Amino acid sequence: MDLEFTAEECQFRAEVREWLAANMPPSPLPSMNTAEGFERHREWERLLAGARLSAVSWPERYGGRGATLIQWLIFEEEYWAAGAPGRVSQNGIFLLAPTLLANGTQEQKDRFLPRIARADDVWAQAWSEPEAGSDLASLRATATPDGAGWRLSGQKTWSSRAAHADWCFGLFRSDPAAPRHKGLTYVLVPLDADGISVRPIAQLDGHPGFAEIFFDDVYVPPGQVLGEPGQGWELAMVTASSERGITLRSPGRFMAAADRLLALASASCRDEAMRAQAVRAWLDADAYRLYAFAAAARLDGGEALGAQASLMKVFWSELDLRLHELALDLLGPRAELAPGAPDAAGEGSWLDGFIFALAGPIYAGTNEIQRTIIAERVLGLPRPGRVRR
Amino acid sequence: MRFAFTEEQRAFGRAVADVLARSCPPEVVRQARADPGVRAGPVWRSVADLGLIGLMVPEEHGGIGGDEILAVTAYEQTGRAALPCPIVETAAVAPVLLTALPDVAQAWLPRIAAGEAVVAVRSPLSPYVLDADVADLLLICEDGTVRATPPGLVELTPQPAVDPARRLFTVKAHDAKRLPRAASPAATAVIGRAVLVGAVLTAAQLLGAGRRLLDDAVAYAGKRRQFGEPVGSFQAVKHRLADALMALEFAAPLVHRAAWTLARWRGAPGEPLTARRDASAAKVAAGEAAGRAARAALQVHGAIGYTSELDLQLWLTRVWSLRAAWGDEAYHRSVLRTALLDGDAPPRPERVP
Repeated sequence: MDLEFTAEECQFRAEVREWLAANMPPSPLPSMNTAEGFERHREWERLLAGARLSAVSWPERYGGRGATLIQWLIFEEEYWAAGAPGRVSQNGIFLLAPTLLANGTQEQKDRFLPRIARADDVWAQAWSEPEAGSDLASLRATATPDGAGWRLSGQKTWSSRAAHADWCFGLFRSDPAAPRHKGLTYVLVPLDADGISVRPIAQLDGHPGFAEIFFDDVYVPPGQVLGEPGQGWELAMVTASSERGITLRSPGRFMAAADRLLALASASCRDEAMRAQAVRAWLDADAYRLYAFAAAARLDGGEALGAQASLMKVFWSELDLRLHELALDLLGPRAELAPGAPDAAGEGSWLDGFIFALAGPIYAGTNEIQRTIIAERVLGLPRPGRVRR
Repeated sequence: MRFAFTEEQRAFGRAVADVLARSCPPEVVRQARADPGVRAGPVWRSVADLGLIGLMVPEEHGGIGGDEILAVTAYEQTGRAALPCPIVETAAVAPVLLTALPDVAQAWLPRIAAGEAVVAVRSPLSPYVLDADVADLLLICEDGTVRATPPGLVELTPQPAVDPARRLFTVKAHDAKRLPRAASPAATAVIGRAVLVGAVLTAAQLLGAGRRLLDDAVAYAGKRRQFGEPVGSFQAVKHRLADALMALEFAAPLVHRAAWTLARWRGAPGEPLTARRDASAAKVAAGEAAGRAARAALQVHGAIGYTSELDLQLWLTRVWSLRAAWGDEAYHRSVLRTALLDGDAPPRPERVP
């Protein structure tokens, strides 16, 4: 067991820190959920890509630099500590790409991965439907064979930034006769394809961060099916475990928030109880950091994360909310100021962060679903007898 | 950076678990509650034969010369078995304290390593001394000094505890001037380290006890049927147990990191920047997680869990006791507040998490 970073790891950290210091935008970018902000974030992704920093753990041929998992965790620590912009390419890099790397053909990897790394294509996720949220397997949108390809019909919703994105990856029912989890196909579709229309939906922060996507007989050639027809659910679970575990939400983000929370508590707070809560929340961020290092060692040793990803998801999402709730408590009357208000000063981002953190227990599978997965698959508690499976 | 135990370290933990499964089943823990002789009896012998008592005694004194990383997997198993013996005090803390009393160390460490001596410790954090009545040697930390005394020179007042397997005493020395003592800046540093070791390995025991409680609750919930279903199939039960697991899973890395910090800085002068923070983090998190597991286990068992019929109470009371031992919550939280809010040291040193 060695908890010291190697010289190589320290060097990588220094390189990332220097690059960020030299290249950070001079002021925060507008929200990526707006048209202007989306494009500004895309430009930022291109800058990262130019330094091979947009997907550090990918092989070089796809735009990465073959970094180890530990190095990727270090990158994320530095990235969030620097206050760098949110990752508009996150769906492509952290959700789709692991599935592509694991299950895509070489042609698909060559075609899509470099474009994801460079933000030439920004991706949206087209899974949820109005009637299929937690019960994703009940989804109704269809993929009907058309020659060698497919025709997609139906409606997807709650798709983050789909109004601005270039492509989407979606799950469609390709075999209505098959059992629910067996008849689904994982499809890659450009959002400017014939028959697609996208309707933005405003979120709690007032920005059009969500969208509905309507598919009206949209043609998809065979090369845009990921894996085999009918294999969609399995592939979606690869994506899901990336989302829940360390890939989408690495500890760096929460460490940065926890450090800022401590600074706020230290500077502004006389209330011992609140100071104690801030300390306890910081400790949870530290625990998550250590857990991720331990998970990286297990992954390096060839183990899969499996249902542990669910433990991680519940933990980081509720930690994030706690950190932000505590910060708002510490801000006193300023807690209700919008980020742009003059008196919000440097602390306005806490409110944005709080509103975003509220989504954490909902996306990537609600925490209610996750707790049930933990109970059934990690602890082995019995499934309910009378529920349809 | 590689945050993982070696196969050798894991194997040692498994070996300890196997031995304790045979030598320390719940019947032995129950017996220990009634019979004061169990603590230094065959169960003590079984862990001595395994090398656990000499684990952290230096080789030149007849021990194995192992470190806290090796110890932490083993001590978790002692918590899981609710071992009714002063193993933290004798096998982990005493070897540290005795570095301040070289002559006493010379005489006693070989006997400790061989499992032939039980040591009781009064730490600066608590006046309550575990198993002083069966101790061969008593080490008293007070005002930056360490004093060693045979028990005959002190008066023991029993302080019955919630866990009857833990016999606590307050201690009064008849004639303090006659006792060997070490009082120097070095003694303060030694006491400081001893407290950290005590806290971290007690935290490991709490993890083990918590996991045992969770396992028992899961087993019970799988068998107990109400309304035609095992109660473990109900969501409220599932979610409570999932939360108990989560607390234990995220406390464990803090305990393991603290063990690493102590092992890494062994023998080096001074105290690593984060040692107190790391030890207190381990104790707070493990205490809370074990407490949550205890609460969940009792709740899932329902009324029968509230009786003394089940073995459950052996672990419930152990958790409640250990949470107050080697630094209670208030003490450790205060260390953390100082380290994180008031200190000069950065919360996260560069090279080491």
